[in-house]
Amino acid sequence: MARLSLKSVKKRFGETEVIRGVDLGVEDGEFVVFVGPSGCGKSTLLRMIAGLETTTEGRIEIGGRDVTGEDPAKRGIAMVFQTYALYPHMTVATNMGFPLEMAKRPKDEIDRKVREAAKVLHLEQYLERKPRELSGGQRQRVAIGRAIVRQPGVFLFDEPLSNLDAELRVQMRIEIARLHSELNTTMIYVTHDQVEAMTLADKIVVLRAGSIEQVGAPLELYENPDNAFVAGFIGSPRMNFVPATVKSANGNVALVTAPQAGLAELTVTTRGAAPAAGSDVSIGIRPEHFVAADGADATLSGKITIVERLGGVSYAHAQLGNGDMLTVESRDAREFSTGVETSFGIRQSRVFLFDKQGRRV
Amino acid sequence: MKRSWRQATALFGGLAAIAIIIGLPFWWVVTGSIKLPREIIQRQPTMFPHSFTLQHFEKLLQASDFPIYLLNSVIVALFSTAFTVLMALPAAYAFFRMEFPGRNTLYRTILLAYAFPGVVVLIPLYGLFAKVGLIDSPAALVIVNVALALPFSIWMMRSFLATVPREIEEAAVVDGAPTTTILVRILMPLIAPGIASVAIFAFISSWTEYLFASVLIVSDARRTIPVGFAGIIGQYQIDWGLLLAGATAAIVPVVILFALVGRWFVSGLTEGAVK
Ligand SMILES: Nc1ncnc2c1ncn2[C@@H]1O[C@H](COP(=O)(O)OP(=O)(O)OP(=O)(O)O)[C@@H](O)[C@H]1O
Ligand SMILES: [Mg+2]
Repeated sequence: MARLSLKSVKKRFGETEVIRGVDLGVEDGEFVVFVGPSGCGKSTLLRMIAGLETTTEGRIEIGGRDVTGEDPAKRGIAMVFQTYALYPHMTVATNMGFPLEMAKRPKDEIDRKVREAAKVLHLEQYLERKPRELSGGQRQRVAIGRAIVRQPGVFLFDEPLSNLDAELRVQMRIEIARLHSELNTTMIYVTHDQVEAMTLADKIVVLRAGSIEQVGAPLELYENPDNAFVAGFIGSPRMNFVPATVKSANGNVALVTAPQAGLAELTVTTRGAAPAAGSDVSIGIRPEHFVAADGADATLSGKITIVERLGGVSYAHAQLGNGDMLTVESRDAREFSTGVETSFGIRQSRVFLFDKQGRRV
Repeated sequence: MKRSWRQATALFGGLAAIAIIIGLPFWWVVTGSIKLPREIIQRQPTMFPHSFTLQHFEKLLQASDFPIYLLNSVIVALFSTAFTVLMALPAAYAFFRMEFPGRNTLYRTILLAYAFPGVVVLIPLYGLFAKVGLIDSPAALVIVNVALALPFSIWMMRSFLATVPREIEEAAVVDGAPTTTILVRILMPLIAPGIASVAIFAFISSWTEYLFASVLIVSDARRTIPVGFAGIIGQYQIDWGLLLAGATAAIVPVVILFALVGRWFVSGLTEGAVK
């Protein structure tokens, strides 16, 4: 168990700066998830923490100790790779015991710890098998087991479930959550998967192009995003953004309008001072936050082009007057029909306002 | 993919033709070694032996220096193979994984070693070995064989190393394995087919090497088979039967080697490691 802190950490590959000054504190026992679009530097940052990539600038501390130039094995971390990275010619038991063997632990201690880990991960009857004789889920459990036996201060996971099929992913996700609550060790987890991020994380770190956009608890990011990027990235399907104009501003209340989206007037409470009248803004509203048109604070209207009915929920994709698409979620599959001009109700408390630079206002 | 019988016939016909072209000399040598001398030199050659005798082998083992040549060859080849493998592996790993200035240039340059015909380096090499007292020593042959086999072996080995997913090595690094351990415990088992290929290449290169063996070895008792054969020709006129028996016997160690390392040539060793 250990705290982790990154101080102005930078990484350059030759000329290109891939991590541009990241500051981050992770508390002991915290489950932190890195998310962000492909190529934003999630893996690179994780590998820098692991020591598999050198740190160009800045400082990495684990458990209060500066490990910036330390060997991976001496950092007190363990890493689980997306591709499992098991040793194919060794049995499950040898794979899991390998880090202890490298640390020159006595044989009986290795045996005991491997058996303990195997028990936690339900791998007991597979200990003598080779990785190729296991299923994908079992292989990933072996990889996790190999990490557990070292009793690291920090677990690092790089998209550990993305090679598994959907069902297994759910199962393993729950298993990882259980593992975290049992071991109570600091975990850093990279994923593309919204659900994994939202359900596993104590804290989500949203990265974009090598910088942190926002750090916060999952619901905090969902309910109170700092900018349009985070707002769009957290939540699925994505938040809708509709261009609008400020009609009038008074303190932290703005009156906005978006005629081409059928929005006459909407009062929005802003974070700080409302932008001046006449400014271009965009309003953000999540697909799941639309309500029935009558009784709503305001409405957006568009022509429904496609309806996706998933059973429990349906999504209507509507085209607004300016050509933009709007995604609207509904629990009632019969509410939408294709080709019909429809009004979708919104509530002012569920609407975010962003300025032209995408900053939340 | 379905083949029509025409294609199948053409394909198998082609394969059979190639097999015959490659196999015929061997057949000739092996069958010749058990024919009576009379049949070997008879005007009308026989595809299948009409006579059977082990007299050539008897003579080979009892009345010639062949057993000594064989022993010399085996010793030189085994040492050459061992050193080639032991040196090619770390060198290939260094070229593959370590970063040092001039790596790529050096890697391409090593193959230049093959740009010079053996004869060109023979004379300076002779002078060199003479200075350090290695003339007429099997060690000289081992050094030459290793030097000749290494550049290509490094290339081969490196391409086998490239098939091992990087993450496996990284996992080992995180697990605390030092570089030598990674090489020996992780990579070597995973590239066993590559090591086997390099070993066979080195063994056969040494086994068939004639030029250097003929010049650097002076005394008859230290000759290797290829050179020794030349001696057989002179020594006993041309005793074809003896020569064919010697050639047959010379194939045997190579066949044994293939049988031994052949089982390493199994594919799918890294299966189950990633994905
Ligand atoms: N060894 C390297 N040399 C040069 N550039 C690199 C290297 N490794 C990564 N990069 C670059 O750094 C950036 C970040 O890569 P990284 O693998 O960290 O992205 P990621 O967020 O993990 O993406 P993904 O979600 O696709 O896995 C990418 O633009 C990539 O091209
Ligand atoms: Mg990645």
